[in-house]
Amino acid sequence: MKKFFILIILIPFLSFPQSKDPRIILDNVKKTFSKIKDYEVSVDIKLDVSFLKVPETHATIYYKQPDKIYIASKDFALLPKGALDFSPAGFMKGNYTALFDREEIYDGTKTVVIKTIPLGESSDIVLTTFWIDPSKNIIRKVEVSTKVNGTFTIELKYDANSGYIQLPSSLVFKFNISKLNIPKRFTNQDESEQSKNYSKKSATGTVYIVYSNYKVNRGLPDSLFNTKK
Amino acid sequence: MHSEKVIEIVNLSKQFKEVKAVDDLELTVYRGDVFGFLGPNGAGKSTTIRMLLSLIKPTGGEIKLFGKSLRKERISILRDIGAIVEKPDFYGYLSAFKNLEILGRLSQTDVSQKRIMKVLEFVGLEKRYKSKVKTFSHGMKQRLGIAQALLHDPQLIILDEPTTGLDPQGMKEIRELIFHLSGVEKKTIFLSSHILSEVEQVANRMIILNKGRKIVEGSVSDLLNRNVLQVSFEVDDASTAEMKIKETAWGTKLKSSAKERLVFSLQHNEIAELNKFFIQNGVDVSAVIPTRSLEEYFLSIMEKNSI
Amino acid sequence: MITLIGIELYKLFKKWRTYIGFIAITVLVPIIQIAISIEGQKTLNFMTRSIQQSFLFVGNFLNSYLVSYLIMNSLYIHIPFLVTLAAGDLLAGEATAGTYRMLLTRPVSRFNVVTSKFLAGIIYTFLLVMWLAVLSLGIGTLIFGTGELIVMKSSALIIFSRNDILWRFASAYIFAVISMSVVTSLAFLFSSLVENSIGPIITTMAIIIAFIIISAIDVNAFRIIKPYLFTSYMGAWSSFFDKPADLETAWKAIGVLSAHIIILFSITLYIFKKKDILT
Repeated sequence: MKKFFILIILIPFLSFPQSKDPRIILDNVKKTFSKIKDYEVSVDIKLDVSFLKVPETHATIYYKQPDKIYIASKDFALLPKGALDFSPAGFMKGNYTALFDREEIYDGTKTVVIKTIPLGESSDIVLTTFWIDPSKNIIRKVEVSTKVNGTFTIELKYDANSGYIQLPSSLVFKFNISKLNIPKRFTNQDESEQSKNYSKKSATGTVYIVYSNYKVNRGLPDSLFNTKK
Repeated sequence: MHSEKVIEIVNLSKQFKEVKAVDDLELTVYRGDVFGFLGPNGAGKSTTIRMLLSLIKPTGGEIKLFGKSLRKERISILRDIGAIVEKPDFYGYLSAFKNLEILGRLSQTDVSQKRIMKVLEFVGLEKRYKSKVKTFSHGMKQRLGIAQALLHDPQLIILDEPTTGLDPQGMKEIRELIFHLSGVEKKTIFLSSHILSEVEQVANRMIILNKGRKIVEGSVSDLLNRNVLQVSFEVDDASTAEMKIKETAWGTKLKSSAKERLVFSLQHNEIAELNKFFIQNGVDVSAVIPTRSLEEYFLSIMEKNSI
Repeated sequence: MITLIGIELYKLFKKWRTYIGFIAITVLVPIIQIAISIEGQKTLNFMTRSIQQSFLFVGNFLNSYLVSYLIMNSLYIHIPFLVTLAAGDLLAGEATAGTYRMLLTRPVSRFNVVTSKFLAGIIYTFLLVMWLAVLSLGIGTLIFGTGELIVMKSSALIIFSRNDILWRFASAYIFAVISMSVVTSLAFLFSSLVENSIGPIITTMAIIIAFIIISAIDVNAFRIIKPYLFTSYMGAWSSFFDKPADLETAWKAIGVLSAHIIILFSITLYIFKKKDILT
């Protein structure tokens, strides 16, 4: 633990001034991550969402380059689609323009803030902001603004002691959806009025995901990802 | 002789809205009586019986059974009563045996399976004990009704119109049954009927009820002897006697004649007079028999009261 | 008293009409289950559609719990009818058959007769609801297996983990017994007033239907009387399927419904004790 703190304190000093070219920074991040061909990880998911009252769940996530992902659970799992895939490539699909914004101390670490804007009309994403630790080439935080689904942020924490610095140990997903319709089915006739006006309100929520027991580059077969989705 | 009062009804009334079904009724039934409770339909017999059995609450008056107030000691009283109220109705979807078993268990006395079979045998239904009651004829139900009334060996048996709907054979059986219960088993019997002949043959005491009121009460023999109007004279030579009679005013009172019998319609005081007449005219009278049933008397009372 | 209850139950279960309710449930529940096994996934997807836009679901949600929950929801209106069928006959049936005379001239108090019949009715209600529970959960488990229960309320989508479900169902079914017992009590009351069982059955159903309609119509005038209708409390079983379980609502409803049962039974008792048996 102590070691960890020392490391955190030292990080700003250890980091060398690097290129401010956002593309290079992002490519470095992707490159770092690309060492991970596949992984299997246990996740604990906790949802703190007003309209989802769900117990803490456990699942296993399987990932394989470039973008195959599969989630399995003995019982059940429910997690935001945006929080499923934390690979840099997942955030940077399609063509985009990248802009260097600023440098910022985020969570005690010097980070580079880069904004990307997708090109073309097809994407739901309007703007993505990355907080990148340039010394390790890892993403610390992502903020995504969408046209329809509101905005969400993803905060990633890494365990310096784990063998793979690019794989997070925990993820916090915060979202704010401006409109969300829950169909009034399954509901009882005599539910109180207060719940009636709910449907059109904006919804915020936080999802906490803790990753443990990574099994990396074991050569997961493709067939695993075809089973079901 | 009449020591213990089994039923004592004082000032009993029952008002149904505008109708006074029972009006200030008083009657007493003693232990060992076969008590006839007579009256035309709608006279208030059933209402009285229902009040005796606490099916109906009286509007006024007091009922005592076995010296106990029905109002206060209903349950201990009912333990000693067996009753058929109007037509016998049972749980049609259950067997005769099961019906009796249920009623036995409700009777708070130990009614064994053997006892049930015994009463079924007594009423001649032992072969049908397993049959559902809904398959029974009216007569069979009536007999089952008697069986349930006897089931718990009660002291008092209340029979409300027990012969309704029965054929002559069935009626005879009921009559014999009453004789048996009264004579052999020493039960007190309260028998209601609208048919006088049924009562007069078995009852020792009776009352006649009409429109909720008591009209007449007494021992059956007293009632039979009072105001006897039809008398048959048994004589040695009916044809001679008849000839002599027809010469006098007595001839108008002659109703019929047979070989040795002349039947007259007479006032009570005329019987002795006519007898004297026969003797004076040399006719041997071997017997003077009041052959008249209570029936006509009963009917006449009914007529009188209905006017 | 126990003897009397035993006799009443025996009589009750010797009657064909007593089984109509059980047969109806035995037929209906598997039909609903089969229908859901065919169409259920589609419906489930439709229901969770908006949430599925942003969230990923993994797990067997189309399971016996969900189906039991749905059955509970949909049969809530229909079970009262089945309950009434037997309860409306409890006293009136004896009047129709003329067996009151036989029964009430036995050395038993009217209080005991009415109470034992009433308790037999409550036991019948209990068994009917339990039969629903056994079939829903039992056959459901055979067809669908178990899993988490997903419940869509207007305020939220709730998922209960599998070890957090059974007590909710147990509570909900017990609650259902209590609320159905109000129906039993009502039918029993009417049953004491008349001499055939059709009247009580129809009257009870008419009252329930009228109350439900009044509850459903969202007019101010009706909203004022809604708290006074017992039917407004019958749906409170679903508060056990809130997170956390809305026990306050449930207890309040149990209180109101139990009060109904006690009052209705007391009235019946009063009427019956004073009743002149004329049949």
